[in-house]
Amino acid sequence: MTHTLHRVGNPESLSRDYVLLFMPSKDINHVGSGPKLRKMLEISLKNGAIRIGDCRLGNEYYQGGLDTLLEHVEDRAVVHAVFNDPEKMTAALKDLKAADLGISVVVSGLFGKVDDCCKKAGLTPHTVNNTLGRWGRTDRLPLQDVLELNTMCGHGMVTVKLIEDTAAKVKNGEMTPEQGAERLFKPCMCGIFNADRAAGLIKAMADK
Amino acid sequence: MRIDPEKCIACGQCEVYCPVGAITIGDEHAEIDFDECTECYNCLRMADCPTEAIYQQKLEWPRTVRSVLSDVLTIAPESGISGRGTEEMKTNEVTGRFKHGWAGVGIEVGRPTLGARFYDVEKIAMAMATLGVEFERSNPTTSLMSDVKTGKFKDDVLKEKVLSAIIEFSVPLEKLDQDFAGLKEVSQRIETVFSLCVASRVASNGEIPTNEIMRRNNIWFAPNGKTNVGLGRPVFKED
Repeated sequence: MTHTLHRVGNPESLSRDYVLLFMPSKDINHVGSGPKLRKMLEISLKNGAIRIGDCRLGNEYYQGGLDTLLEHVEDRAVVHAVFNDPEKMTAALKDLKAADLGISVVVSGLFGKVDDCCKKAGLTPHTVNNTLGRWGRTDRLPLQDVLELNTMCGHGMVTVKLIEDTAAKVKNGEMTPEQGAERLFKPCMCGIFNADRAAGLIKAMADK
Repeated sequence: MRIDPEKCIACGQCEVYCPVGAITIGDEHAEIDFDECTECYNCLRMADCPTEAIYQQKLEWPRTVRSVLSDVLTIAPESGISGRGTEEMKTNEVTGRFKHGWAGVGIEVGRPTLGARFYDVEKIAMAMATLGVEFERSNPTTSLMSDVKTGKFKDDVLKEKVLSAIIEFSVPLEKLDQDFAGLKEVSQRIETVFSLCVASRVASNGEIPTNEIMRRNNIWFAPNGKTNVGLGRPVFKED
């Protein structure tokens, strides 16, 4: 509980960061869910998702491209679409509601913005999940700017060293912030790392 | 994970991909601190090792626990899904796992960045067990307990290190205050961190009942989080 939760950032930065998660439920509606999940990803792409991903088989980079990812979505997969624009996400939610595929949809993002998107799409929030932050030895954690990038991969695959190395390379002119963001996206197997938001965060780190 | 010293040329490409800093680059070859390695596969998948020196050694119990709870592409047999958790609130409109008047609690030990040993996971689980919580049976972390009533874990996993392990349970809303107090106390006794989350049904007037409980306990919560928008079918009917 869970990989799209616990994203760290200020409201301005988070206002460009939304993840839609699509998931069937074991023994209730998982049989035959693969084609439905693929349809949900296609709806997301049509409405401007900047990334899609599949927890079960890996991101588009790992699977060798978007077409392969879409082709391989299985029953019981957990798949995602990342948006950087709440208007585009709202359009996707409207289409998902109209498609009525019967698969659960969870939106991660700023609650205020997500509530607005739901209202516009004619959806009523059913259950929410709050993050109550980090407890215990927080003195051992890296700085906020590193955490903002690290927590966009909830499984921790975008490592502190990779982030620091990438920021150093951008600072030295070895890569652009966008190239740096692509480098950080690749280990995030679920494909929920928002490379668009990350490019801005890396640039800010490099400019320090 | 292991690195073959005969093949490794100490190029250093793998070092940045280890989430727990277990890889060091020597003069002649890289080395993995085997006790720190969580078997997450990130180095093997991402480093593009030019000499294919990184390899997965045979995983045997209890070390298999590391892979299940650290590698996102490993399917946990208890939940049937990839990752460390369960369906929790993600499918709540069809499962009815968290009903009105209840909260779901997830304590993800080791997240972010630090990882966790099971002796710390056990400290937290035992503290929660004394408060009477019942751990979620389909969660892979619960399956490693030797006694789900006390939160005691099997002795042979206590020193195993994973990227994170999720302690998961449901509680009536009126018991959430005591659980928060218990978590505040046990958080002072661990070597690592945990990320905490609380899930609840949205009331018919749009209110989130757990928000007031967090406020009165002076517990910070973020302006962002997850919202299940209720599109799953068939819808679970509460009595």
